Amino acid sequence: MSQQNEIGLELKGLSKVLGGRVIIDNLDLQVKKGEMVSLLGPSGCGKTTTLRMIAGFLIPDNGTVTLAGKDVTTIGPEKRPSAMVFQNYALWPHMTVFKNVAYPLKVRKVNKAEIEKRVHDVLGVVNLMHHKDSRPAQISGGEQQRVALARALVQEPDILLLDEPLSNLDAKLRVKVREDIRDLQRRLGITTVIVTHDQDEALSISDRIAVMKEGKIEQFSTPEDIYNKPATEYVANFIGSLNRYEGSYSNGQISTGSDVVGVRPEDVTFDSKNSAGAVEATVSLVVPRGHFHEVYLKAQ
Amino acid sequence: MANEVQPLNLHTKSWSVKIILAIFSILMLILVVGPLVWLAVHAFATEWKFPSYKPTGLTLEWFRKVFEVQALKEAMKSSFIISPIVVLVSAVICLPAAYASARYNYWGRRTFLIMMFSANAFPKIGLFATIATLYYFLNLMGTIVGVIIVQVLGTIIYMTWIPAAAFASVPKNLEEAARDAGASKFRVFRTITLRMAMPGILVAMVMSFIYAFDEAQGTFLVGAPNIYTMPTAMYAIVETYPIQVTAVFSILLTIPSVLLIGLARKHIIGGQLAEGFQIK
Amino acid sequence: MSTATTNQVAKESFGSKDSKLSVLGFFMALPPILVLGTFIGLPIGLAFFLSLGYTGGLNEVISIIGQDVRARDGKLFTLQAYQDVIKDPRFLGDLRTTLLVSLFATILVLFFSIGIGLIQRLRGGKLSSLLTALSLTPLFIPVVISAWALYTFYGGAGLYQTLLKSFGFDVPQITSTVVAIVIGSVWTSLPFAILMITSGFQSIPNALIEAAQDAGAGIVTIIRTVMLPLAFIPIVIVATFTSIGVMGSFTIPFFLGPNQPTMFGVEITNFFTAYNRPQQSIVMAFIVFLAASGIAVMYIWANFRSAKESGRV
Ligand SMILES: Nc1ncnc2c1ncn2[C@@H]1O[C@H](COP(=O)(O)OP(=O)(O)OP(=O)(O)O)[C@@H](O)[C@H]1O
Ligand SMILES: [Mg+2]
Repeated sequence: MSQQNEIGLELKGLSKVLGGRVIIDNLDLQVKKGEMVSLLGPSGCGKTTTLRMIAGFLIPDNGTVTLAGKDVTTIGPEKRPSAMVFQNYALWPHMTVFKNVAYPLKVRKVNKAEIEKRVHDVLGVVNLMHHKDSRPAQISGGEQQRVALARALVQEPDILLLDEPLSNLDAKLRVKVREDIRDLQRRLGITTVIVTHDQDEALSISDRIAVMKEGKIEQFSTPEDIYNKPATEYVANFIGSLNRYEGSYSNGQISTGSDVVGVRPEDVTFDSKNSAGAVEATVSLVVPRGHFHEVYLKAQ
Repeated sequence: MANEVQPLNLHTKSWSVKIILAIFSILMLILVVGPLVWLAVHAFATEWKFPSYKPTGLTLEWFRKVFEVQALKEAMKSSFIISPIVVLVSAVICLPAAYASARYNYWGRRTFLIMMFSANAFPKIGLFATIATLYYFLNLMGTIVGVIIVQVLGTIIYMTWIPAAAFASVPKNLEEAARDAGASKFRVFRTITLRMAMPGILVAMVMSFIYAFDEAQGTFLVGAPNIYTMPTAMYAIVETYPIQVTAVFSILLTIPSVLLIGLARKHIIGGQLAEGFQIK
Repeated sequence: MSTATTNQVAKESFGSKDSKLSVLGFFMALPPILVLGTFIGLPIGLAFFLSLGYTGGLNEVISIIGQDVRARDGKLFTLQAYQDVIKDPRFLGDLRTTLLVSLFATILVLFFSIGIGLIQRLRGGKLSSLLTALSLTPLFIPVVISAWALYTFYGGAGLYQTLLKSFGFDVPQITSTVVAIVIGSVWTSLPFAILMITSGFQSIPNALIEAAQDAGAGIVTIIRTVMLPLAFIPIVIVATFTSIGVMGSFTIPFFLGPNQPTMFGVEITNFFTAYNRPQQSIVMAFIVFLAASGIAVMYIWANFRSAKESGRV
């Protein structure tokens, strides 16, 4: 990829106080062009707030927002090269699917024939041509979600912003739509920031993940790194499950010490109690999980 | 619903916009409050000569004077007797209907709603003129019952539509949950449905009271010269008494509305009234 | 609240009614209809026949008391009373006054209520609360008092004249003109309009406005393409209720308007009481009703259209 090192989005020293509380605290983030980045964190950690500052709905108290090389910190959302997919889709109920998607082009005074063509193209991409004359209230949640996506894509934005776009879908649809989104994003090469509090989602579709905690980014790295080399205990705990030991680690051995050692469940192996570094344990609970079982052990 | 709304970042915080808004507000202030204050101040004026900005002197004499006039005292009394009766009668007639149109599907439902609206579209004053025919026949001209009926007619639209919307907005699953918990049908109605619809019913009652208390045209045509309420007395006194007396009377006539609306302000502004005016 | 949930609520509240027809519901809904039928429907029916010259039956008393009552004299009906009214030299003036006052008052009320509603929705803040509170004030004031207060304010010895005089202007007074009727009508209609329209704008979720902003729309475009269409129903309700209300109003034109030509509300009363010509006054009422019905049809159409749109029907 040639665009590998171009910067698509940069946040520098971003801060925001809302309702007298510091919500975002000196946050930095650099997203490469064409990259898909997840903002992952617990409820209330400031994901939406960050996204809204990128989109322009909120003006940061401090810091700058740079989109595609242009400082847009104080520019209104209508003039930013970004497009957002809202948490509840925010489709206009008085317009048909076609009109919803055509709206951004109409506002930009694109000529009729081109609007027609581009809207048809994008509706084809999200597989909704058959619903183009329906109203939002007449289609399903998953379809509404795709309309919202189409409305963002039709603008051919430099940056695509998605705020928990899948949270209203059922588990199965969720997996399908997130793959669709990832596929599209790859094909079109759009720089994308997606907000989620679902770790599976973040791990499976992002190039990099920014794990947030109380208005700060705790770690920003590839899914593999986040999972295998968490920078802090918070990150390690937030992603996947963890066996926590107090002690220190060397050569595959945990010995007494003042550090904290985390071991992923899948890295635990069963062996005889005489082997080196073994911990004796009894099974306390077995939870069937479909194609695998979760086994809880109690150390003796 | 209205409480969650956050201000938007529309980038319009410029000075010119602010100044235009400020001028607009001051203009509104003068146009709305001006006439009221101007009239109210007269209640305390000994005399007022044009073109002076202030009265010659101040006095409370006019308040005493109002309570000395027998006709005005009578009018106040009948107002305070008739209006509450109107609200009660209207509630008894309309609340079951409001519940029915929110919860049941019955034959002619749409037609009923539209008929109710059409009744409101006929010019009130024309209606009061036509009602005379029937009133002569039923011997209701100049009677209290006649006045009460005329006032009830105008309250029906409030008493049906606003509570209907309020009943409709009580989620059915809340009722079902209470039924599930073992409450009887009536108990569910009393403790859940009625409780939750109460703000809407309250707004309807307040609006009805104010309507009845303020109603002048019908009351005048049907009640005069036997029965005068405060507003119909007002027609007469503006022609016979000095402006100061009318000012005092105006203040007295305004107090109940102010108190009642103050009481239900939150719900009226909160959209209960607006909800009621959409056909569903 | 999100669109998804509002739509859902709308759907549920409609769907929550049992689909089978309820006998109990019918009887519960009956009393107000009976009252309206007896005391509005019946008199209007009688009046309609009286206007066509049916002077017998229940109409007998009024036909004897009233003057210039035109009887059908054995014919199926007579339009003489209508001709009397329409040929009366006052009629055209009254009609024009009534329609123009209703039109201008409605336009002004829509302008103020939509303006204030938009300021409140899009800007918020103390100023907009003040504006809203001010425009709701007339709700507290009985119409008779409002009319009288406006009369004393704009009248010969009122503050309006006092102010202008002290600045050296000698303008004709506006009481006893149609201008004063329009001012008074706007005054009395504004609170209801503000309540309807602000609540209409408030129930538009932020996200719907922001989505338009994100799509590149400026404030004017957002208002035109998103906010006004989404508040369409409240706006139609305000337009219909204001124009119908003003058209049939009596107190405001009675206190503030000119003697001739005046609005039908005043003329109907004059013909009924002062001139003792009930049949002609009823004919006028039907003319106003005709105009009001036209407007009412618009309201009903708008309501059903929106029900369809949001998937409720
Ligand atoms: N306008 C506001 N005024 C005051 N506080 C606010 C405002 N907007 C957000 N907050 C607070 O800021 C914090 C972060 O909010 P934000 O919406 O960014 O969280 P989030 O990470 O998106 O959470 P979720 O996963 O629940 O959507 C929350 O505690 C919220 O209460
Ligand atoms: Mg959020």
